[in-house]
Amino acid sequence: MWDFPIVIHAFASHDPAKIKMMPAVPAGASASAPLRSPFLTVILAWLIPGGGHFLLRRRGRAAILFCVVLATFLIGVLMRGPLFQPSAAGDVLSRLIQYGGFIGDLATGLCYFVSVWLGYAPPDQAGHTPEYGSKIIVAAGLLNILAMVDAYEIATRQKD
Amino acid sequence: MQISVDHFELSIIFALLVSIVLGLVTKRTNRERVHYAAYCFGCFMLALFSIGWFMRVLHG
Repeated sequence: MWDFPIVIHAFASHDPAKIKMMPAVPAGASASAPLRSPFLTVILAWLIPGGGHFLLRRRGRAAILFCVVLATFLIGVLMRGPLFQPSAAGDVLSRLIQYGGFIGDLATGLCYFVSVWLGYAPPDQAGHTPEYGSKIIVAAGLLNILAMVDAYEIATRQKD
Repeated sequence: MQISVDHFELSIIFALLVSIVLGLVTKRTNRERVHYAAYCFGCFMLALFSIGWFMRVLHG
């Protein structure tokens, strides 16, 4: 929607000299991002942390996001944090926690799918270490959601 | 293989990783990003120590 310049006419005088050309992108954003489908960008950003930024040629940011999200996920896995499973059992709060945690796990994209594919399914045992691990895997997903939103904003030229 | 990290160590690691991402996605220039990440990390540390000492006083 920002690809074409918007022309505002000076209706009062119809003077061509008063025709103003507005920039094709909002103030503060530049047109340096290559044109990519925001949908494709968000999907790639979800599957591979930093992938959306890489597609938009923000390679430095892509590398940092990839390393941070992957490191967060791996710390959780090394702490043997169990993954959340959507479950209809229990009261409303328990279901909310299970579904919310599952969405957080799923937001890590391929990290989640690969770990499940490799058979990562530690038992939900008592102890603070697995408990923290489970939460930090969800945190990795939430960080990836932030990265996805950022990639979407770059793809739609709302920011640089 | 399982690593064992206590609450304090994990809080510092978490604060560092989240601060990096917050700085990266919210600011426009590298200078602003570094400043904001440092600011977020400082806020996390302030909250960590404040709440820690508050609980210490509360529980004795």
